[in-house]
Amino acid sequence: MMTNHVQPKPCKILNVKKESTHEWTFRVESDAKPEHGQFMQLSIPKIGEAPISVSNQGDNWLEFTIRSVGKVTDVIFQKEAGDILFLRGPYGKGWPLSAFEGKNLVVITGGTGLAPVRSMLNFLYDQEDFARDIHLICGFKNEDGIVFRPELDRWKNKFHTTYALDTDAKEGWRTGFVTEFVKEIPFDAFGDNYAVVVVGPPPMMKFTGLELVKCGVPEDKIWMSFERKMSCAVGKCGHCRIDETYVCLDGPVFNYTKAKTLVD
Amino acid sequence: MGFQMTWENAQTVFDKLAETYQIYAPKRHVNAGRYSEVDTIQYDRVSRMDEIVWQVKSDYPAKEVLTPIQQAIFYFTEDEYRASKVSEKPILIFARPCDIAAQKVQEKIYLTNGGYEDIYYKRMLDRVKFALMECNGGDDTCFCVSMNTNKTDNYALAFKFSEDGILVKVADESFGTYFDGVAGSDYEPEFVEKNQLEVTIPDLSDPKVRQALKNHPMWDEYNARCISCGSCTVACSTCTCFTTRDIIYGDNPEVGERRRVTASCQIAGFDQMAQQKEFRSTAAARMRYKMMHKFHDYKARFEDSHMCVGCGRCTHRCPEFISISATLNKMNQAVLEIKESLNQGGDK
Amino acid sequence: MNHDINVKKMRINCFRQSKVPGEFMLQMRVPGGMVAAKYLENVKYIADTWGDGNFHFGTRQTFDIPGIKYADIPAVNKYLEDYIKEVDEELCAVDMDIVAGEKQEWNRESGYPTIGARNITGCIGNHHCICANINTYELARKIEPIIFPSHYHIKINISGCPNDCNKAHLADFGIIGVSKIDYHPERCIGCGACARACEHGATRVLSLNEATGKIEKDPCCCVGCGECVRACPTSAWTRREKPLYRVILGGRTGRQTPRTGKMFLNWASEEVILAVLGNWQKFSAWVMDYKPEYLHGGHLIDRAGYKKFKEIILDGVELNPECLVAEDIFWHETEYRSNFNVKPMELHHTAGPVK
Repeated sequence: MMTNHVQPKPCKILNVKKESTHEWTFRVESDAKPEHGQFMQLSIPKIGEAPISVSNQGDNWLEFTIRSVGKVTDVIFQKEAGDILFLRGPYGKGWPLSAFEGKNLVVITGGTGLAPVRSMLNFLYDQEDFARDIHLICGFKNEDGIVFRPELDRWKNKFHTTYALDTDAKEGWRTGFVTEFVKEIPFDAFGDNYAVVVVGPPPMMKFTGLELVKCGVPEDKIWMSFERKMSCAVGKCGHCRIDETYVCLDGPVFNYTKAKTLVD
Repeated sequence: MGFQMTWENAQTVFDKLAETYQIYAPKRHVNAGRYSEVDTIQYDRVSRMDEIVWQVKSDYPAKEVLTPIQQAIFYFTEDEYRASKVSEKPILIFARPCDIAAQKVQEKIYLTNGGYEDIYYKRMLDRVKFALMECNGGDDTCFCVSMNTNKTDNYALAFKFSEDGILVKVADESFGTYFDGVAGSDYEPEFVEKNQLEVTIPDLSDPKVRQALKNHPMWDEYNARCISCGSCTVACSTCTCFTTRDIIYGDNPEVGERRRVTASCQIAGFDQMAQQKEFRSTAAARMRYKMMHKFHDYKARFEDSHMCVGCGRCTHRCPEFISISATLNKMNQAVLEIKESLNQGGDK
Repeated sequence: MNHDINVKKMRINCFRQSKVPGEFMLQMRVPGGMVAAKYLENVKYIADTWGDGNFHFGTRQTFDIPGIKYADIPAVNKYLEDYIKEVDEELCAVDMDIVAGEKQEWNRESGYPTIGARNITGCIGNHHCICANINTYELARKIEPIIFPSHYHIKINISGCPNDCNKAHLADFGIIGVSKIDYHPERCIGCGACARACEHGATRVLSLNEATGKIEKDPCCCVGCGECVRACPTSAWTRREKPLYRVILGGRTGRQTPRTGKMFLNWASEEVILAVLGNWQKFSAWVMDYKPEYLHGGHLIDRAGYKKFKEIILDGVELNPECLVAEDIFWHETEYRSNFNVKPMELHHTAGPVK
């Protein structure tokens, strides 16, 4: 019997949490055990499929934080607890946890770019011994764009956090783009023992990468997660291919040495 | 084992084959061309030997048999669903050497890429045997010899068609029974040894050269010439890209299907995510993407061959007369310039 | 200069009176505007031998040779014998001894017998053009023996597609080649190129249904141009094997009442076109009480009224199933003079047999 790699499985929605107007987190019953940073194909039969990164996971459940921007995600937003979502996956390469083990970790996110690192951050929060100091810089466009508020608060307990809105002021928060706060990270104090994770919209990742290199961060210490159009997630449909690289298979997480060479 | 047949007794053999096999071959579609009173030659089921168009190359590729332009993969009814089914009858495809080589190129993506074997491709391929059509030399858009796809031994039968009759070689002995009572011959297929057109594939092994080629002004020309219609990739023997699309049947939202529909990297929106800017928003960028894939990226990943069999269909179908061989020549010229400039220590 | 010339007789013979007394311009018929290039040698010979050495592309696609002396006309006509034989008799199968259905022996050396039915013009059509739906000159060659020779006037323009480069809209009987187009959804990749082509170049009848990725069509307003076929990268749109025709009726230029024609028939088969034109002379004869006048076809329709025209012109014609016929036509003329049609009763035109 051949395996049908694009066959989805019906999974029950356990609850829906509104992070913001356009970003909701769906907790779905599933025994899948994705690596942190992997993604899955979510679908609504007769509507379509969309690749969504796993934003948290637990005992027999997964969470997906979804932005309603298209046909499929709009319909997903009409679903509630008890309804069925179709899932297949997990797919791709997640965060290289072994490369972060015992190291200082800098995580820089823009907007919902926080979603693909959220499950890893929660893991690091719970497994205090896994890594050393965690420096978290999270930027959001404005108050409405803030997601995972309870966790943002919780993470403050154990991580060095810098939360910022692009242009608006917010009490206890900074104002400015994440790139502006990169130079405040004590890279010198880390010695050689650190890694950097960057996730966000393509321009944010590009400029953050440049800024990090300017701060003397070696390229091979930087990791990024890409988002591209995908239709199959198993290296057949061709939509996500960049050069000889398939984002669905070889990514979505790339080392910066590779990421910087990828020209769409 | 070889045979020779008149067209009359060829039909008897064909009828016997058709009992076991679904037979696909290039077939004339009258008036189906882009312009009036122009036919197209497309792969289709054939029911007679003389329906097979052997005189000229087909406009559309043989890949349409294995991966139709539109293919249902799942059917949905209310909350139930199932994968689509296909007939179990084996398939015999009449194809030229380049067409057969193209199947191997596609196979790499469908069956091996990422370690995922696509069942929809596999279940078709498992049914397929090729009947080689000896190529009479193709036309002035062909460059199979340059791509090393002019020869093949991946066939069960080989045919040489002519007005006077048909010569056959039976390579897969299980086909011998279909030719009972047919006169013997010692026919061995011949292969094209030289095309009118020869191309050189640029050496893109140096990432610096590749990077410079991507930014080279040679692509700008295509912003003015290419209309991003996708005719080239649809006609391409090897292009595999598709989009998965769900649809609802008519006015009943409870019933529908998930299907694959051919996609083209040349058509706007190929890399566009919802509410985001396209990465390749110009015809030049799309042409660059296609050419780099055909003549570098595919081989860099799968190693065995380039993603072009030199069938020339892209050139043949392009409504704007963009020739892939001419484009390759421009790439070669650009690579020469780039290498010279890099050697002179220039940092372009 | 002293001449005694019957210029009307010369005109019927396809020699047009010049402003230079005693000189004429020959108009050689070129049905559909297409003949073998070798005939240009004949044109050159006539122009150099009897004309003033010049040649003009006639506005109705005739070979026009000016500056021919009255005295040379018999020699020119004698020379024309082969051209008329090869082009009209052989290429178009015209019976030169029948004029408007009546036997009237033709003197082979006397040149063209009538001027009434004008040269049928055509765009290059699908002999060459990427837009055309039909072979224009082949249709012209089939129509030529039906309308020529005849003293009844008719101007027929044939355009290969609804772009109407050959101005079927300005002829008595304008013919436009159209196609019924079939959609093959299983070949459609939903790129929308056809819908964009239709929007930019035709009547916006196509739209991409984003939910299905397939095209929806408003068949009512499709002009049958085939731009969707041309735009499609997968041959998901194809023309039906037999082309069809649209007839634009009653268009004209002129000093009094120029106007563009209006649609008379849509999706008519070739058989219908030829049968309708077969009734043209019958209609003209009835309007003018069987006495040909130098009067253009459109005016005859005005006199008879469209409904009478329709009755006679469709008499015995078996319409193909797709064929649509205008129930009525309301032309809109250029009003050079307001209330042009309000005039004394005695200036009114009448149609049909005089009582």
